[in-house]
Amino acid sequence: MAAPMELRCWGGDWGLPSVHPESLTVMAYAKFSGAPLTVNTLSSFWKAPKGDIPVLISEDKVISQPAKILNFLRKQKYNADYELSAKQGADTLAYIALLEEKLLPALLHTFWIEAENYCSVTKPWFASRIAFPLSLYLPGKMSSEALNRILLTKGGPPLYSLTEVEAQIYRDAKECLNLLSKRLGTSQFFFGDTPTTLDAFVFGFLAPIYKVCFPRVQLQEHLKQLPNLCRFCDEILTCYFRLSVSGHSPAGQDTADANLQKLTQLVNKESNLIEKMDDNLRKSPQHPPRKLTTLKLAAGGEESSPFSRLSP
Amino acid sequence: ISPLSTAAEPWPENAALYQQLKDEQILLSDNASSLAVQAFLQMCNLPIRVVCRANAEYMSPSGKLPFIHVGNQVVSELGPIVQFVKAKGHSLSDGLDEVQKAEMKAYMELVNNMLLTAELYLQWCDDVTVEEITHPRYGSPYPWPLNRILSYQKQWEVKRKMKAIGWAGKTLEQVLEDVDQCCQALSQRLGTQPYFFNKQPTELDALVFGHLFTILTTQLITDELSEKVKNYSNLTAFCRRIEQQYFEGHDKDSSTIAARSAKKSLLR
Repeated sequence: MAAPMELRCWGGDWGLPSVHPESLTVMAYAKFSGAPLTVNTLSSFWKAPKGDIPVLISEDKVISQPAKILNFLRKQKYNADYELSAKQGADTLAYIALLEEKLLPALLHTFWIEAENYCSVTKPWFASRIAFPLSLYLPGKMSSEALNRILLTKGGPPLYSLTEVEAQIYRDAKECLNLLSKRLGTSQFFFGDTPTTLDAFVFGFLAPIYKVCFPRVQLQEHLKQLPNLCRFCDEILTCYFRLSVSGHSPAGQDTADANLQKLTQLVNKESNLIEKMDDNLRKSPQHPPRKLTTLKLAAGGEESSPFSRLSP
Repeated sequence: ISPLSTAAEPWPENAALYQQLKDEQILLSDNASSLAVQAFLQMCNLPIRVVCRANAEYMSPSGKLPFIHVGNQVVSELGPIVQFVKAKGHSLSDGLDEVQKAEMKAYMELVNNMLLTAELYLQWCDDVTVEEITHPRYGSPYPWPLNRILSYQKQWEVKRKMKAIGWAGKTLEQVLEDVDQCCQALSQRLGTQPYFFNKQPTELDALVFGHLFTILTTQLITDELSEKVKNYSNLTAFCRRIEQQYFEGHDKDSSTIAARSAKKSLLR
């Protein structure tokens, strides 16, 4: 087992464990893969190391971007993509690129640049979670970084004014949502019945759009017209975050969560389990020691051993 | 571009694609984009001739290359060109269903997000490459000091963009790893099929060909970038197949493509 890991990220509201898309992606992945993270939401900013949020701290390692954090978790054997084929792994990368190029600009715009949203919701929310005097400076800095990013990546000619850029990025975002909805179809997650990295990223980007109550909500309205994506978000929230849709977490979630995590870890570490069982077999007095390979060739008298292997 | 006016006119014989000067000026990323558009138009069977101009970048409506001049319209970059061609009634992706179209768009974004950005990083943010290749090439048609001023200005623009998307802090090794990851994804998606969506090429095939072929045939300071692509044999076979099928039969293009592959160097 890995050393205890701590995740520092922005906190939640409106029924979400976190309001920040990247923090939400990491938290979702941790739930899917059963990684035991202690989540510390930021309430006074100077405790966090300089740089991006979310940040994962394990022993003395500090890892900052979502892709790197997920890589680190995979190396620690918390792998939600265990059952994916190579092609599905490639699809994951492609769809994540689509999200970052087409959906992220509109998401940033809704949160940080749209004047009404920023002044009435985003700025007070983030300022209340940052210690004074940084609360006066930091939200403004985050907003100008978001504007910079959008203008530099999307704002060249022939789009010459901010309104034209805005129109283009919202068009792109709506098209991206439509594409995601078509890809998801009627299945529960993007690759079958178990959630994977792609589900974590999609959830991380969609849930803030879906849940946060803004005055200007054109993206949210578009999302609500795609019922399978809304169902996707709600299901992850209820199953993995144990928050009901209205946002109150019921008591007694811990044991259920622990069971779910244990189950996921068992699936992920099946090779270790098989080895342990094999050792047990060799040590137990009823069965003579035998190698694993002979079981395949044997018939008749040795049938008792496969059954005992399967028993927990 | 209003769809009605573009659909009305058939594709003219004198359609032209503008890019920078082939031997002295053009850079890796622009060459890749230009080749992608050329491949796409060849796949649609639409004739185009390549015109090289030193000021092509300034002629382009969006500042990005390549751009095509068709009839009395000027369209730049692969995305808008694909839409423009579609309005004229030619499309490579009509046979795909909705999920496949979503996949195709996602993979095109992957190539733009990782491969194109890595090419830009390598040619504008890696100091050795910038000094020895980019600065001399980019401003080569202009006299001193204009050539240095233009290329410093462009470098500053690209570095700003890299910083905004978070690539400024990456080292060259990390960028090469990203390229490797992208190539691995493309290779796994292609598998043993001739094209990405089995039987027929689409704009995704054109885009991937443009970038990979350029990486494979451009000589830089080191061979690390092309080595990453060469690791995946189905990708190199894919490039060779498209080159043979769409480029070797045409006289005007064979001088650009075949000569390039024969010499295996574009620079110096």
